[in-house]
Amino acid sequence: MNKNLTIGLAIIVLMTLGALLGGYLSPHDLQEQLKIEYIVDDQGKGTVIAPPAPPGQRYPFGTDKYGYDLLTKLLDGAKYTLFLSFGIGFARVFIGGLIGMLLGYFRERQPEKQPADSWKALNGIPIFLITWLLLIGISINSALSPPKLSLLLAFVLTAVGIPSVLSTIKDKTIVLRERPYVIASESLGADHWTIVRSHLFPFLKESFLILIVQEIVLVLTLFGQLAIFNLFVGGTTMYMDPPEYHSRTNEWAGLIGQARGFLYTKQWILFIPLAAYVLLIMGFQLISNGLQQRYNRIYAKPPHL
Amino acid sequence: MLRVVKTAMVVPVSLAFILAVSLLPLLLQMDGDGGPLRLQWSQSFAALSDYFSGLGSGDSFRFVSGKYEYSFWDRIGVSFQVSLFYIFFGSLIGMTLGLLIGVYFALSRVEWLKRIVELFGALPDFVLILLLQFSVVFIASKTGLVVFQVASLSTDDPAIALPLFSAALIPANYMIRNVAVQMRLTLSEDYISFAKARGLGKMRIVFYHALPNVLPFFKADLHKLLGILMGNMFILEYLYNLNGVGMFLFSDAIGFGGYQYALVVNGLMTLIVLYAIVYGLIRLYLWGWEKVISR
Repeated sequence: MNKNLTIGLAIIVLMTLGALLGGYLSPHDLQEQLKIEYIVDDQGKGTVIAPPAPPGQRYPFGTDKYGYDLLTKLLDGAKYTLFLSFGIGFARVFIGGLIGMLLGYFRERQPEKQPADSWKALNGIPIFLITWLLLIGISINSALSPPKLSLLLAFVLTAVGIPSVLSTIKDKTIVLRERPYVIASESLGADHWTIVRSHLFPFLKESFLILIVQEIVLVLTLFGQLAIFNLFVGGTTMYMDPPEYHSRTNEWAGLIGQARGFLYTKQWILFIPLAAYVLLIMGFQLISNGLQQRYNRIYAKPPHL
Repeated sequence: MLRVVKTAMVVPVSLAFILAVSLLPLLLQMDGDGGPLRLQWSQSFAALSDYFSGLGSGDSFRFVSGKYEYSFWDRIGVSFQVSLFYIFFGSLIGMTLGLLIGVYFALSRVEWLKRIVELFGALPDFVLILLLQFSVVFIASKTGLVVFQVASLSTDDPAIALPLFSAALIPANYMIRNVAVQMRLTLSEDYISFAKARGLGKMRIVFYHALPNVLPFFKADLHKLLGILMGNMFILEYLYNLNGVGMFLFSDAIGFGGYQYALVVNGLMTLIVLYAIVYGLIRLYLWGWEKVISR
């Protein structure tokens, strides 16, 4: 049994269920706020209850600075985190993979010209910076609704991720294309479609699957990096005096980004969303590792040492 | 086209790219309150022409931070040094350790350790940094002992150890993973079994037969690693409050007077220069490795 794959899938399935049923499972209402209270018990001793409440019986994960339940917030934001990252990862591999496979297959038979090395200096500008510049003008205190903004972000993140998937798949296809069975099939008169479908795709299937999972992890990373710089999935609400940034969707990376100040005190406000996010990434990583193991067992040669 | 011309074309096209990318926040804006999303061409062209006319007068090299105006040239030197220090020494330490650990992982059978490293390696850079900061705060609150400084409070009292450690973590992790994979592939080659049959020692085979065939892979993939490192640099500087190029760019890109186009353009150009320098230095370092292991 493949332990990695099982554990990873279990984590992701549970989280997906949480995201789907979030509204029914949450112990508190999204709008329900813990107010400052002064309670006098039987002995006449008074205690003050004030937000944020630490994790306890009433609030399993505690509340945020303003007294809203963190578990409820997490369950509410899960749909954005999970389904968006999954959708973007899938779209990247689907579009990039399709184009890459065709480019690799219909490549001319002469050695390819490598683009000049100096082009790569543009690598110095990180992708999340480009995404940030693209969206910062419209994401803060935006008039667009959160789903629309999320869709816009999804579109941008898909577009910036396609080139790398494309080149990976293209390289793999070029190698496969020179295999004897492809040439044999070609000389027997198979048409392009048959070769792509029955000789190339079956060998690329596993790569596609692993790539999707890895792209999801990359997308989640980008969500997080953007959130560190106050660009949250689904839009940022900014308050002046003192400047504060709030996620409009409770998306997990956003919850981390907006709680970044709670490093020294009331750490659960930062730690709980961070833990959920880490668990999610680990789940996907375990799936990716598990798939890789399966794949290696079938195809890899053992080392001599 | 001539090769020289082709290479020379890189400079103007990169410049155009930077000028265009920096325009994005101006170009993509909402039309008034609740209006549709519209491309703001006139405002973007104004910024662009201001930049070019400001080049002569020096206006393009001034920026506003808080209430005061500063000169770009006065400020960028220090930031550049800070960024170069962390990114270069971080990758130097990280790559060296990563290479050695990667070789060890390719040979040994400590599966549990590999699995842990692999899982933690999948975590994004900012999570690792936050977890490191958390653990320092945790240790300090339990024992009263502050192991490292968590972030720089001021420029006179910078946190060095923890940021440098974090800067080494990402390249180390990248190297461990890739060296282990490439090493395993190389060790399954026939010339390795031949070397083994000749009775050569394990260390000799690994360092003189296998490793020279692993290193070219990193030379080819160096741009990928550096791309990751540049992204990491931003996060590092932001979370540790280091006064580097990334912080310089972000903290004043959107000031009280609105978006500072000239500052972002200049900052991005600095990034490219930084990239080129670090790339050269790391290539030199890899060249040194090759000299040592392939006498």
